[in-house]
Amino acid sequence: MLRAGPLALAAPAVAVLLVFFVAPLTAFAVYSLLTGAFYEVSGPLTLDNYREAVESPLHRTLARNSLLVGLFAAVASVVFALPIAYWLRYTRSRWRMVVMFLIIASFLASYLVRIYAWRTILGSNGLINSGLDQLGVIDDPLTFFLYNRFAVTVALVHIYLPYVVLVLYAGLAPLSPAYLEAAQDLGAGRWQRWRRVVLPVAAAPVASAFLFVFVLSAADYVTPQFLGGTSGGLLGVIIQQNMTAQGDYALGAAIAFSMLGAFLALYGVVALALRLTRLDRLRFVS
Amino acid sequence: MTGPGRSGLAGAFTVAGVVFLWGPLLVVVLFSLHSTAALSFPFRGFSLRWYEEIFSSAEVRSAAENSLIVATATAATTLVLGTLAAYGLTRTSSRARGPLALLFFLPITLPGLFIGTALLVAFARIEVTLSLATVAAAHLVYVFPFFFLIARAALDRLDPALEEAAADLGAGRWLVFRRVTLPQVWPVLVGAACLAFALSFDEFIITFFVIGPDSTLPMFIWSTLRRTIDPSINAISTLLLLFTLLLFVVTFALTSWSERRRRGSAEPLVVPALKDAP
Amino acid sequence: MSGEARVRLEGVSHRFGDVTALREMKLDVADGELLTLLGPSGCGKTTLLRIIAGFERPTTGRVLLAGEDVTDRPAHRRATNMVFQRSTLFPHLDVFGNVAFGLRVAGVPRAEQRERVREALQLVSLEGYEHRRSHELSGGQMQRIALARALVNRPQVLLLDEPLAALDLKIRLDMEAELRRVHRETGATFLYVTHDQREAMALSDRIVVMNAGAVEQVGTPAEVYGRPASTFAARFVGDANVLPVDVLDVSGDEVSVALAERRRQVTCAGARGGPAWLVLRPEAVQVGRLAREAGADELTGVVRDVAFRGTGFQYRIAVDALETELKAEAPASSPELAVDERVTVDWTPSACWLLPRDDDARAAGGPLPTRQETPA
Repeated sequence: MLRAGPLALAAPAVAVLLVFFVAPLTAFAVYSLLTGAFYEVSGPLTLDNYREAVESPLHRTLARNSLLVGLFAAVASVVFALPIAYWLRYTRSRWRMVVMFLIIASFLASYLVRIYAWRTILGSNGLINSGLDQLGVIDDPLTFFLYNRFAVTVALVHIYLPYVVLVLYAGLAPLSPAYLEAAQDLGAGRWQRWRRVVLPVAAAPVASAFLFVFVLSAADYVTPQFLGGTSGGLLGVIIQQNMTAQGDYALGAAIAFSMLGAFLALYGVVALALRLTRLDRLRFVS
Repeated sequence: MTGPGRSGLAGAFTVAGVVFLWGPLLVVVLFSLHSTAALSFPFRGFSLRWYEEIFSSAEVRSAAENSLIVATATAATTLVLGTLAAYGLTRTSSRARGPLALLFFLPITLPGLFIGTALLVAFARIEVTLSLATVAAAHLVYVFPFFFLIARAALDRLDPALEEAAADLGAGRWLVFRRVTLPQVWPVLVGAACLAFALSFDEFIITFFVIGPDSTLPMFIWSTLRRTIDPSINAISTLLLLFTLLLFVVTFALTSWSERRRRGSAEPLVVPALKDAP
Repeated sequence: MSGEARVRLEGVSHRFGDVTALREMKLDVADGELLTLLGPSGCGKTTLLRIIAGFERPTTGRVLLAGEDVTDRPAHRRATNMVFQRSTLFPHLDVFGNVAFGLRVAGVPRAEQRERVREALQLVSLEGYEHRRSHELSGGQMQRIALARALVNRPQVLLLDEPLAALDLKIRLDMEAELRRVHRETGATFLYVTHDQREAMALSDRIVVMNAGAVEQVGTPAEVYGRPASTFAARFVGDANVLPVDVLDVSGDEVSVALAERRRQVTCAGARGGPAWLVLRPEAVQVGRLAREAGADELTGVVRDVAFRGTGFQYRIAVDALETELKAEAPASSPELAVDERVTVDWTPSACWLLPRDDDARAAGGPLPTRQETPA
């Protein structure tokens, strides 16, 4: 048998991914350099789409929204998830497995159902307002919950929090309780243990979870449609519109790849920061 | 109890997190049983009328059937291709190993919007008519990394000495795989396939671009949400939730059972799989 | 013992749920001594160490460090430092960062940190390793860095929780010598936990033999080995034979005992008439080929197993009319006996030790309920 034997088993999967992933993305990239007509593209190669993608005031506003929502959602998810992951890793509570189950299970709850649930809760006729009204706290419904960046951010945190918890939990897994005991034994109080041991060790998983949430939030096009209103639109929405109703494939592609470029730049910055602090590849012994 | 693991604050965050994650979902379940169409307090009493409504809807039924078809096709294909790929990659020392693992992981890093739009233009270009088949192909790309990471983690953690022992006893490659490898990892593979099924069943972001005239359950929910506020959405959502929960229980049980069988501890393989992500 | 004890435990008990890990422990650790807690796993020795370190709070009792009650103080506010069984060198810090960890937390100025880390690394013979990471060190080096990381803080007492257990035998022996040297050079107080009696003997000024959450005996290695205070101590330290005998008569230190219906002589101070345990070290047992008819009071038996151990032969002998097999060691120069060979068994009267025995203890077959503490 050939020495490449075992590797040949991966061939079907490679073929599928080349055909349905690599090739379409390549085609999409080429489209971004052509001139778009109605659901059609034609040559010659041009950078006009990118110019429009970056210069249009609408795109700039949406890009700013995407950046803000992405940042808020990513920061909030990580800040919320870190203590939960810490608890899951180090607790001796008998509820540990139950909580683990609930968090992984909620990961699979339908994306659309979550968006719908938050619309039900935050709406002017929604649960918070009707509840407060019933209690006599307010007379007129509070409208600042829904149709803005806040609502979009809350829903996105709700969608991605379970994933972030699991990534951070997995990141803390090799940091056995003995390391925290060693730190405590050397005089580190609770805050010092977080600052000098937990956070440095969690830095790489935190960065990867942060990027994950940022990218998926910034590129979301469904959540802002239902919860964002006029002030909470994101860049994903304009890509989706160009690819469907507007039919301008070239412009849609150019916006998408501009966004991807921004993501890659951000990824590069984060990876470099981890590299320089030597926190990117920690090797645990024992 | 003392020790550095004790932290009231982390416990409080955990409770808040579970409430935050499950509260909104339970609200949906609660209002699926509401006797009136109102989605606000006060709660006027229980009834099953919304369930009756969706069960009698031909539109819902056909959407659910389509979702089942797509998810089954996706999960089955992923199970076969993913297992082969993971086995191949864990049993080779070839230099292609790293780049291939990266290729298999890459779709997870890209927002669904990109995969959906790229496939949309590609299908248009080569004049493939959009159908449930194109949806399944797109889903395959989307769920493959999840399956691959879990399967590879499971295969990586097997003791190679067992396979060597079987080979030493005269078993060929196929026999080793069937008699030694597979019996150890099948629960994890089936569990990961269930996960693939659940992800596909619920997928909307990519589906939106590559579906033709057909509908799936998420598509149906989306179009209903756009039109009106229809309380039957609560009932569909609840059933969807129960269904994915059921699938998840199977996954969780299978993976943690196989873990416990392996080394006496219960840690679902989702977690080790995440550790291996590049 | 002169002056105030470095560590004093007063009536320390600890329970995990229904399990009693420690009961009414009383212990003084003197300034500058190397004291070992020796016992089988589950005897409570590690729990005791963790109570002194501050990781566990005792259910009852008090912990005093240099006369000060620290029972309610958490680990990071105690002047104790620990070397753990497995490496706990922080993977995100290099050797310097690890050793300086406690100094940084305490806010020691940079220049002083550098100086003290350098001294500490010199002490463990690892100068120049400042910028290595833990995965670039061998197991023995990691534990030496862990030792430096603890000692650099100048703790009241250094706690060592089986620090050599994960190392290979050869490195373990080198590390024992290294520990003895560091102890000599620093004059610090070491509290050492191990289940390895050989290690305990090689290292300690004093040994505390522990069993089932309580102290069996405290004494120097020679005392614990030569005059065990209980059958448990006798069996655990030095793997002694413990045989049931009856003391027939006592004249001074000369005692006559009945063993398997034979009358034998033993030298032991303070023996009383009645049932007793005879403690017999394997190396005190003399085994000879049975060449003639045995005398009336002579012990005979059959060789069941032989193992060559470099320094000599190790035998297991089924003694006639005794239920247990007797362990014996013979020098390498002695003629080797074969399995199934019939032999005579004898011993030097002065190499034995007697312990009181009552019927309960015999029925239980376990350690004696009465414990003596050898004065230190």
